[in-house]
Amino acid sequence: MHKCECEQPLVPVIVEVMDIKDETPDIKSFFVKNPGGNGLPFNVAPGQCAMVSYLPVGESMISCTWQEEQEYLQFAIKRVGLMTDELHQIEVGQKIGLRGPYGNGFPVEACKGKDMLFIAGGIGLAPLRSFIKYCFKHREDYGKIKIIYGSRSYADLCFKDELFELWPQQKDTEVFVTIDNAEEAWKGHVGFVPSYLEELNPSSAGTIAVTCGPPIMINFVLKALEKMGYNDEQVITTLEMRMKCGIGKCGRCNIGSEYICLDGPVFYLAQLRDLPQEY
Amino acid sequence: MKVLSKSKLETALNKLNQSAEVFLPMQKDKESGFYSWKLFNQGQDELMLNALNVYLPPKNVVLPQTERMYSIKQEGQEIKIDKTFEDSSPRVIFGARPCDLKAILCMDDVFLTRGYEDSFYKCRREAITIVANACFQPGPACFCAAMEINPLEPAGADVIICDAGEAYSWEAKTPKGEALTAQITEYLEEKSLSLPAAKPFVQDVKYEGVAEKLKGMFNNHIWERLGESCHNCGICTYVCPSCYCFDIQVKMWGDEGYRFRCWDSCMYEEYSREAGGGNPRGSGIERFRNRFLHKLEFFKERYGTPLCTGCGRCIVACPAGINIVKIIDEIKEAELDA
Ligand code: SF4
Ligand code: SF4
Ligand code: FES
Repeated sequence: MHKCECEQPLVPVIVEVMDIKDETPDIKSFFVKNPGGNGLPFNVAPGQCAMVSYLPVGESMISCTWQEEQEYLQFAIKRVGLMTDELHQIEVGQKIGLRGPYGNGFPVEACKGKDMLFIAGGIGLAPLRSFIKYCFKHREDYGKIKIIYGSRSYADLCFKDELFELWPQQKDTEVFVTIDNAEEAWKGHVGFVPSYLEELNPSSAGTIAVTCGPPIMINFVLKALEKMGYNDEQVITTLEMRMKCGIGKCGRCNIGSEYICLDGPVFYLAQLRDLPQEY
Repeated sequence: MKVLSKSKLETALNKLNQSAEVFLPMQKDKESGFYSWKLFNQGQDELMLNALNVYLPPKNVVLPQTERMYSIKQEGQEIKIDKTFEDSSPRVIFGARPCDLKAILCMDDVFLTRGYEDSFYKCRREAITIVANACFQPGPACFCAAMEINPLEPAGADVIICDAGEAYSWEAKTPKGEALTAQITEYLEEKSLSLPAAKPFVQDVKYEGVAEKLKGMFNNHIWERLGESCHNCGICTYVCPSCYCFDIQVKMWGDEGYRFRCWDSCMYEEYSREAGGGNPRGSGIERFRNRFLHKLEFFKERYGTPLCTGCGRCIVACPAGINIVKIIDEIKEAELDA
């Protein structure tokens, strides 16, 4: 193709969409693998991202919600703009572009032996799910697991089969689900994630809290955790910024001197304290 | 020392031009910048090797304003990338001033280090030879010496030339520079030349300690005042030799097209606007602050050197009279918020 022997980090590989699943009215999961079905173009660790492109339109940085061995990479993608609108129209068999893996990912090793508290809102469960499923896969490496998750409505809850069936059956695992406003058929908790968190008041002892969701939710969750005695080394969150290159070159995803695409998206709260409050 | 007499300059350029595209400072129509010697129009254009700074820096040679990346071809559900456009044809930047040379070194840091090498930049850059033109007489807006540059002996040049009136001294500094020298050896003479004495800087800028001080000034009230008159027009980023931010876009004609990248500016609202509409730097002041912090603090923290090379272009070009030298002064004097 081209003469030089450089790696080409900005040029995507082509993958095939082997399955598409509706998660909510505006979120779909796309399962991709190499065209023709032989494995994956690269491995993605929990919390890492990839640039997903519907090539004629554009690229978006998406957190990989799960890599199933060498079977597929799964991306849960919400419709938020032109590229994702187009992506929601494609059908199984479509070839799309993929480059990555990008970002640092969750500190799965450093969290071994800890109790885990996952707190997510809306599509924010997608990145956390890679860590959650990793914990289940290596169940003996982690202590008790608590998952607190909320969305606007029942329909807007992602990954319902796991939330209500699979995860609560796991050993030493509790799943708490809330929706913003009461609905007739909903028997569960009603209210926002941060207040539900305060209500549940999970102990900070030996626990790592990992949170992801809309910025405003994250802000309140961080405050609540602080009140509950979590210190900055016990809290992990992910940041989002607009991205183009994904490799720390194009300049736009900086917070202070850090690039979210390269140095993030996962940060301990202790690290965030050192950065300008610009997220 | 080796000497290139000015009377032989054009023949030497013609010679170099046979094996590489040679870019040098010239005035073309109303614009001055680095253009290809091939485009030099005798009688109309003017060579500007004697000027300190032409309006546009040579950054277009290392990072073109628009650059094709790869082709895209769609057929039903199939998509192909047939071709990528890394360009490694030889180029020479002839007569880059030390500030503009340093700006390219900053871009080398960005595009070639910290985990990834950008193949488009790398191929292009490896085939570029830089002949730097040392500065003895700083201009009224120049302050490179304050920004960690030696204008007489700039680091990173393949060849350094010094203007001694009738002739240039010519000193190869790297193997690339030796190779270039070999090409024009017939035009070089061996003789001694007395170089002009270095004149002092007009601008007195003290950058020491600024990056460290800025670390505590993100939320300082000073930004409101400093950035108040900025229109966020982006001219400063356009003329700046070291502003490298780029966008990646796609252009399709029916089922075929290509992805390309192009210069972007952190001064624009779209630059950091997210797909969902949110923008962490939604206000002009926030974008203003980010540009100057990137220049004076963030880049230094990440790469160990400031991203401003003291060329003074933005001071001259800004329609609002924003002056990075004054900004540095004000930062030095500013009181830290309690
Ligand atoms: S040139 Fe001046 S007015 Fe325009 S964006 Fe730059 S600082 Fe602001
Ligand atoms: S910020 Fe201004 S003075 Fe500094 S390198 Fe850029 S254009 Fe030149
Ligand atoms: S997306 Fe380009 S620097 Fe992060």
